[in-house]
Amino acid sequence: MQPINKVKVEFLSKSSNEAFARVVAASFVAQADPSIEVLADIRTAVSEAVTNSIIHGYDEKEGIITMACTLYPELVEITIEDSGKGIEDIEKAKEPLYTSKPELERSGMGFTVMETFMDTLIIESSPGTGTRIVMTKQLGNG
Amino acid sequence: MDISFKRDRNTLVVLIEGEIDHHTSKDARDRIDSKFIMEPVKNIIIDLSKVSFMDSSGIGLITGRLKKASSIGGTLAIKKPSKEVLRILKMSKIDSMIELDA
Repeated sequence: MQPINKVKVEFLSKSSNEAFARVVAASFVAQADPSIEVLADIRTAVSEAVTNSIIHGYDEKEGIITMACTLYPELVEITIEDSGKGIEDIEKAKEPLYTSKPELERSGMGFTVMETFMDTLIIESSPGTGTRIVMTKQLGNG
Repeated sequence: MDISFKRDRNTLVVLIEGEIDHHTSKDARDRIDSKFIMEPVKNIIIDLSKVSFMDSSGIGLITGRLKKASSIGGTLAIKKPSKEVLRILKMSKIDSMIELDA
């Protein structure tokens, strides 16, 4: 499938960039004229993925997060990648309400939200090298 | 994000305006908790009618405040979440633990 358009941004793992990332992703996808609901789902999923990189990947220390969005005729693929500490047990991390950081009042719903709001979710991670999240969403415009 | 407070007898009414994410929820948590300690209240109502975005950080914020209120025998209620916010709340099953006035 030939992409129609692509964008790639790098930003520091600062919590103020959570809003930046979701606005960039939603603005990029908006050119395909999806519904408001689809845009809201993308905004939320991106926010969850970027927050995970900041809190878990980098333990709230400084690092680089890369977000790439690729637009195809009927779907968007969004990749969010960090070079942080990685996830030891991906299945455990995906369990609803499981959090490794209850002291920060994390709900443990991040991956559940991503899975529910997007159509596909792939988590690639290994301890010490980082985490890569690839999500796709049908745009419902075909 | 803006937060404003009013007191209705023994209930602290919290109006949150703007976006709730990990970045903004830290400040919201601190401000709500200090107000809750200072005022003669035991219940909390969080009015979400002016929240334009909320991710799962909002669930953590709400359950944390629910624990604070419960610890002194109080309750927590949520008022007027948008359709999108309500979806996140229901996903977390938090709606089974709190009063939800949609």
